[in-house]
Amino acid sequence: MNLNPTNIPPNDDNLRRAFRTYAAALSDAHTPPPAAAVLFRAERRRRRQALERAERPLLIMQTLGFLFAFFTAAWLIYQFAPHTLPTLNTTGLALAIACTTLVLAGCWAMLHASRRPFA
Amino acid sequence: MHSSLEHAAAPATVLSELAFQRLYDANATSIHSYLLAVSARRDVADDLLQETFCRLLLHSKTAARLDALELRRYLFRIATNLLRDRWRSGDTTPFPDPPELATNPFLENSIDIRAMLHHLKPRERELLWLAYVEGMDHAEISAATGLNRLSVRTLLFRARNKAKQFLAPARPSL
Repeated sequence: MNLNPTNIPPNDDNLRRAFRTYAAALSDAHTPPPAAAVLFRAERRRRRQALERAERPLLIMQTLGFLFAFFTAAWLIYQFAPHTLPTLNTTGLALAIACTTLVLAGCWAMLHASRRPFA
Repeated sequence: MHSSLEHAAAPATVLSELAFQRLYDANATSIHSYLLAVSARRDVADDLLQETFCRLLLHSKTAARLDALELRRYLFRIATNLLRDRWRSGDTTPFPDPPELATNPFLENSIDIRAMLHHLKPRERELLWLAYVEGMDHAEISAATGLNRLSVRTLLFRARNKAKQFLAPARPSL
């Protein structure tokens, strides 16, 4: 494809001139977004980062709490299951499983809600 | 020494807005043109320009030590890194809709830079733009792109030759 109809091989100066003319045409045709938009975006991000920093200890504590609850439940089941589980009737066992599931689901829901980005 | 950026360091404060406006006015147009020429997409150029200045504001402690020239290179460095992040993430749709000017009455010799850029790789576009439009030397391009200085020299040489091939006239068949 011949892009140079004058049939003159471009030298560096021609190329530089052409690039700069094109750059001038580009900047004439397209104005950058206003500075206020950038400031607004930076401010919004700064606030979000500040909020994330503030929430980090809470998130750590929630995660630790969730892990503690999970492993405590596992340990309790391991410790007492041989003695207590056979003594539970079907309704009691179902209730115990339902309660444990509810507690774990609640923990998960709390964690999930705290990680949701704010509007 | 107080650089202009120290006043623009905290984007939230009202006091910084004037300084930031000056900084933005001085650099935004050239960086926007660079992003537009390399990405060839208006929406991407707008977004990356905002992101470039946004990152500058959020990393103001590093940037506060820089003078105006270094700050300009730093901005080009951020913009270049953002362009590369975009390509790495897979958003590499180049030139879906040429952003510019099918014919430009001001172009001497009718050299169609836009069509030539279309045929070059993104890195070649970056290097040629920084060298020819921004007038940067190898060291400055190295600082602005993060490439080794010797690599810049080699890559720029190749890009220049490639550009000239695209712009060279077709040989008449014998």
